[in-house]
Amino acid sequence: MKSHAEVAEVWPRDGLVRLVGHIYGRPVRDEDEWRLLLVLRCGEQRLHYQVALEENRFESELPITDLRKADPASVEEWDLHLTEGTAELRVGRHLDDIRGKKRIMVYPEQRLADFSVRPYFTVNDNLSLECRTEVAS
Amino acid sequence: MTADRLPVRPADGPPRHRPKVRYLLLHAYGRGGTIRTVMNQTNSLVAAGWEVELVSAIRRRDDLQFPLDERVRVSTVVDLRDDAYVRPIGLIERWQEWRKGRLLAEPPRAVPPGEFGYRHFNRYVEQQLARYLRTLRDGVLVTTRPALNLLAAEHAAGGVIRVAQEHMNHGTHKRDVQERIRESYPSFDAVAVLTERDREEYARLLPGTRVVRIPNAVHSLDQVPSDHRSKIAVAAGRLFPQKGFDILIPAWAKLVETYPDWQLRIYGSGEKKAQLRELVDKHHLYNHVFLMGHTDRLDDELAKASFYVLSSRFEGLPMVMIEAMSHALPVVGFDCPTGPSDVLTHGVDGLLVPPEDPDALAEAMGKLMGDRALRADMGMAAVMTAASYGPDAVHPRWEALFTELHRLHRLDRLPEGRGARGDATAGRQAHAAAEGPLA
Repeated sequence: MKSHAEVAEVWPRDGLVRLVGHIYGRPVRDEDEWRLLLVLRCGEQRLHYQVALEENRFESELPITDLRKADPASVEEWDLHLTEGTAELRVGRHLDDIRGKKRIMVYPEQRLADFSVRPYFTVNDNLSLECRTEVAS
Repeated sequence: MTADRLPVRPADGPPRHRPKVRYLLLHAYGRGGTIRTVMNQTNSLVAAGWEVELVSAIRRRDDLQFPLDERVRVSTVVDLRDDAYVRPIGLIERWQEWRKGRLLAEPPRAVPPGEFGYRHFNRYVEQQLARYLRTLRDGVLVTTRPALNLLAAEHAAGGVIRVAQEHMNHGTHKRDVQERIRESYPSFDAVAVLTERDREEYARLLPGTRVVRIPNAVHSLDQVPSDHRSKIAVAAGRLFPQKGFDILIPAWAKLVETYPDWQLRIYGSGEKKAQLRELVDKHHLYNHVFLMGHTDRLDDELAKASFYVLSSRFEGLPMVMIEAMSHALPVVGFDCPTGPSDVLTHGVDGLLVPPEDPDALAEAMGKLMGDRALRADMGMAAVMTAASYGPDAVHPRWEALFTELHRLHRLDRLPEGRGARGDATAGRQAHAAAEGPLA
C-alpha cells in the first residue's frame, strides 16, 4: 500500500473539523513541517492548516467558516491531504477491516445558517468534506 | 397450491414408521430467524431419511434466502408475486378474479390484530390456507407462528398430527393472541417452545396438552474461535425497538472515555436506522459505534470480535447470541424474557444484567473490555454452552417427538379397548416415556 495519512478519528464539533491519525508508509523527519491541505475538487483553491505531530501521529483542525466562499456553489467538495511541501498524502482510512466506509462511518453535518459541512468517506475510503449552501432561487 | 420445487427422491423411500412432515411457514422466501431455523430443521430431517415438505403460506420472492437441501419439496399456497397474475378469460374467471380482489382487501377474521404478522393476512389468504389445511389427512403438520397455529387448530382436523411451534415467548404476545392461544392450542398433539421458562408457562396455560421444550439449533458448531485480542464488540439484529440498540448506544457512551480504542459494531438493517444514527451523533459516538448494515458473512465478523452484546427488550431464543458463543465470544446481555437466562450462566459464559438498565450494561461491558483473560475464560465456557444448541444435539429431539406422536396416533386408531384412549394407563405411560428425552 502506498503512503497515506491514516485517519483514526474525525470530530465534526463546535464549528471545527478535527482529525487524529498517523502518517503511514513514510518516514517522518524532524526537519519537515507537515500541514493539512484542503484542495477544492472543482477549482483552484487550496487551504493549509497547522498539524501537531508526535512521531508519526498527527492531529489537526480547521474552522468550517473558512470553507464558506463569497461566490458559493450549492455543493462543493474538498479533498483532504497532509503535506510537507513536496509530497501530498491523501487522508483516508485503509488499514482496518471495514469495507464500504461511505455507508458505515458516517459523520454528522454542522450547520451555520444556510451553510453546512459534513466530513465523509469516498467510495475509495478517502476523507473529504462536503459543503452545501442553500442558494436562494 | 403450487409445487415450487419437486424433491429429489431418496433411493429407497422413507421407512414406514416415519410419517411425512410438512412445515407451514408464513413466508419461506423471507429472511427471518424462524425461516432460517425451520430450514435447518428440514435439512436435518431429510438428511436423516424423512420425507419433508416446506409449505409457504404466501410467496413474494422468486428465490429462497437460505440454503435448503434439494430433497425438501417446496410449495406455496398463495403466490403474491406480480408475474403470478394470470389474466382471467371468460365470465366465471372474471367473476372469480373480482371476488379474489375483494377478499384480498378484506381484513382477516381468524387472525387477531395483535398477531405481529397480521398485516400479511387477509380473507383471501385465510380462506386459501383453510382450504389447504382441510386437505391434510396424514403425516405431521408443523405450524410455525400463532396465526398459522390458530388456522391449523381450526382447519387441519382431517387426521394429520399437529405440532404448534412458538418462536416467541408467551408474555410477548398481545392479549388477543394470548386468549386465542389458550382456546385453540389444546387441539394440538404437541406445542413446542424454545425455553424452559416458556415451557412452564404454556404447561400452566394448557393443562393436558403436551408441551415440549426444543431449542432452535445454530447452523453449525464448526466455527473459527475469537482470540479475544481485538477491541471490537458486536451486536446484531433488526434495527427496531425490540433489539434495544437505543439503550446500547447511550450505554456505550459511558465507556468511551475509559476505553477510547474500543469499537461497537451493530449488524443488521431496519426501520429505525435513522433514529439510531441520530443517537450516535447526539452522543458523539461516530468514531466508536458503527451501524454496519446487513452482512452475508456474520460468521467472519463474529470471529473478529472480542465479545457479544445482547440489548434486547425481549426475545424468543436469541440465536445470533448462541452463534456468537460458538465463536468463543462471551456475552453481556440483558436478562430479558426469554432466552438469555435459559442459555447463559451469569459469571461463567457471560454477564447478565437487569433488563433495560444502561448503567448495568455499561458496567458489565467495561468489565470485559478491561480484562482479556476474563474474555478468554468466559469465551471457552461459551463454546461449551453453545454445543448443546448444535444441530446434532437438537434435531434428534424433533425426530423423537415426531416418531412418538406418530406411534401414539396409530395406537389411538386401534379398535376400541386396545388403543391409548381405551387404556388410560397405557396412554399415560406412553406419554411419560416420551417426556424423558424431550423435557
